[in-house]
Amino acid sequence: MSLLFRRGDELRLLVWVAAIAATGSVAVAAAEASTFDRTQLIVPAAFIVLAVALHAFLVARGVRGDQLLLPLAAALTALGLVLVERLASNLLAQQLQWSLVAAGAFVATILIPRDITALARYKWTWALLGVLLLISPLLPVIGREVNGARIWISFGRINFEPWEAVKILMVVFFAAYLEEFREVIAHPRRFGPIPIPPVPYLLPIIAMWAIAMIVVIFEKDIGAALLFLGIFLAMLYLATGEAFYTLIGLVLLLVGGFVVYHLFGHVQVRVDTWLRPFAEDLRFDAGYQIVQGLFALGNGGLLGAGLGNGMPERIPIVWSDFVFNAFAEETGFAGAVALLALYLLFVYRGMLIALRAPTPFLQLLAAGLSFIVAFQTLVIVGGNARLIPLTGVTLPFVAYGGSSLVTNWMLVALLIRVSDVTARMRGSP
Amino acid sequence: MTPSVAGNIRSLTLTIAIAFLVTSIGVGYWTMVASEQLASDPFNPRLVAAIRDRPRGRIVDSTGGVLAESVKTAESYQRRYADRSLAHVVGYASFKYGASGIEAAYADSLIGQDPGDPLATWRARYLGERETPGAVVLGIDPKVQKAAVDAIVSTGRRGAIIALDPRTGAIIASASIPSFDPNQIVDPRTEDIAWQQVSDNLERPLIDRARSGLYPPGSTFKLVTGAAALENGVNPDTKVRVDDPWQADKSWGDYFVRSSSHAHAEFAMADAYRLSENIYFAKAGLQIGGPKLAEYAQRFGIGAAPKCDIAAAKGQLSNIGSLDRPTLVADTAYGQGELLTTPLQMALVAAAIGRGGVMPTPHYALEVRDNAGNTIRTIAPSPAGQVIRPDTAAKMTQYLVGAVEGPGAFAFGAKIAGVHVAGKTGTAENPAGPPHGWFVGFAPAEAPVVAVAVIIENSGQGGVDAAPLGGRVMQAALGR
Repeated sequence: MSLLFRRGDELRLLVWVAAIAATGSVAVAAAEASTFDRTQLIVPAAFIVLAVALHAFLVARGVRGDQLLLPLAAALTALGLVLVERLASNLLAQQLQWSLVAAGAFVATILIPRDITALARYKWTWALLGVLLLISPLLPVIGREVNGARIWISFGRINFEPWEAVKILMVVFFAAYLEEFREVIAHPRRFGPIPIPPVPYLLPIIAMWAIAMIVVIFEKDIGAALLFLGIFLAMLYLATGEAFYTLIGLVLLLVGGFVVYHLFGHVQVRVDTWLRPFAEDLRFDAGYQIVQGLFALGNGGLLGAGLGNGMPERIPIVWSDFVFNAFAEETGFAGAVALLALYLLFVYRGMLIALRAPTPFLQLLAAGLSFIVAFQTLVIVGGNARLIPLTGVTLPFVAYGGSSLVTNWMLVALLIRVSDVTARMRGSP
Repeated sequence: MTPSVAGNIRSLTLTIAIAFLVTSIGVGYWTMVASEQLASDPFNPRLVAAIRDRPRGRIVDSTGGVLAESVKTAESYQRRYADRSLAHVVGYASFKYGASGIEAAYADSLIGQDPGDPLATWRARYLGERETPGAVVLGIDPKVQKAAVDAIVSTGRRGAIIALDPRTGAIIASASIPSFDPNQIVDPRTEDIAWQQVSDNLERPLIDRARSGLYPPGSTFKLVTGAAALENGVNPDTKVRVDDPWQADKSWGDYFVRSSSHAHAEFAMADAYRLSENIYFAKAGLQIGGPKLAEYAQRFGIGAAPKCDIAAAKGQLSNIGSLDRPTLVADTAYGQGELLTTPLQMALVAAAIGRGGVMPTPHYALEVRDNAGNTIRTIAPSPAGQVIRPDTAAKMTQYLVGAVEGPGAFAFGAKIAGVHVAGKTGTAENPAGPPHGWFVGFAPAEAPVVAVAVIIENSGQGGVDAAPLGGRVMQAALGR
């Protein structure tokens, strides 16, 4: 097979990504200016060149395995660019630059760890790095507080949310640790039907999780706390198959939730605005954002108002917290379900990679990374649609924000590498 | 044996897929099912954006007089309101402060998406094709409205008058003083100052006292007590001894019911209405008992919000919703106790008696028209129901005519030459100062075409001041 047609499916799917990027961008610009102008195609064209370059890089590098993840991630990122253009066009250039950085991070992740299984050997390094990153926003000079949450670090003009990177480090660490000790942990002594967890073996991962929880509570980031808890429980379940651990974890979540609810005013406000956002005392205050978000969803109907024709800009900070609602308003229930289907397809492919992976470490790694995308999507969309309280996690690939985009593209690279290892071992393309 | 990770991956993936399904259903609920309700929320900016970008429909009175319309200015459409006295009914549609009144209740009709015209709604929503909307026609009669406003203004006090047609429930006049200028609230140049002024004003001009002002009904509540007594074994012709002050027994301690005329005489029910004798009605209430009195109050809609096209306040029978002790039963029976009602509610009570016991469902709008003037939808809600027997209503009407026209009747001020008027005054004791004056009534007594409720806050002599105002408004309605 000639070099050109390796990863042919990937290239063909990128044509569809190009179509999404171009039509979306033109629709947004046309709704604004009522005219067509060739400059409107600059951003989507630049992005498509970038995506095709990544494809060419994978071909040149001889990477085998999954051909769907790159087009899926590219489609979501393209939709993100269209929505940033729609909702905060002054941030568009910045988001395009971040896409470039994300592509760089993707390439670096494909290139640098020569042997991906070797990641497991440095698990304590990853744990330590994760903790340092978590603490970093609390440090003077580089730490930044934005909108009441101290979760940013900045170097000059570049701002970064470290927890976005920590979620990946956490999965790598858990995968490595659980591969080593899962036999012990998976066979607890039982007291009747109730398993008694071998606490000493669980201690390191509980410690890692607890540090993360304490830090994010100090930094007032409920979304990150929820994500870390989700990763912790999912990894434990994946490694042991012990549903009872998950049950204990959920009980802990309820107890912990009850405690923080009574300790922290900002948690009470979150829960309150979730339960009764339309109440007279909340709808113009803490509930304003979610109420405006629900108005946007309500305007969606089946097919939506059309890109550029809704009023999602009335939602405060729509470009980072409520992109899903903006998309649903302008493309309707049909568009919203299509978007969710893209995510589910991504997660499905990631889980398929995990199933086929040759070692437990790689299985846990791929499944954990896929779980991140699934869980983060469910938590933010659930919050946007008032199914659960709203928390500040980002819609992967789509929401405006550099840290999220960069780490998610590293996540894609890791998944492709796992599938590459599998393909090589099985001798398939 | 160590369990395979693969099996765990499969079940986790299944769980995730189910969670995505549930999330999709949730999104479907908001985008498809709840969308109608969200679209008509008065604070939804999409609704109000329609004000600026394209003309909204007109709001007109029953003679076709324009009450609200969109006027084109240099860069947008601006809402103009003709009658400040109807600010509470017509409402306002502000980009910043939301909408109220008809502007909110008929918001979808006013942007050309009336529920009675699903095709236009569908075309506007999915195809972006919008025609210029038509009009919402109100039952307001400008002559009656003017009479009502003049009547309140002549007292120099705060107050409200509402008049409706007992045959249909259509509201033909509704005035609430003080009012405000909705034009200033929708004008971007004045909106902030105007909004601040009306919301901070201690006289509460934003509240529609006619449908949302809560007052103790005073003696106007005796309409309910009398009807309950007649249907529960009280013989109206039996003379009842009244000696002021009165208590049922020593257990009432130093608590007494007092007669407004300091009576020491024997009263039949007709006399008790004419002279508004509290002790008579307190005894009648105790005779039928708290549960029966509460049941009839509930039948007349006391303590519940009347079903109406603009939301109205609900009031209360008592703080706990039932009558649990003899002194509360006695006080409630003549209209004090812990009762709170709105003028709209009391007008409905009068209307029900006038209409042979059938309580109408109130409504402000009569119909929605398209831009060619064709009727899209007629608003004619069916009556709330038969609340008392026709013979009870006839008997009540007879007593209420006596309360206006009989010798020494308190409500004599409501008399209209050549027409029999039925009515009842009320004097509502309240903690805020001098008693409020009430009048409720209807005319002509035999076949009423108008029912009215008047409240004048802190009026000097209570109901005696309010009765002539009710008479003037009913006269204006009869002359139409």
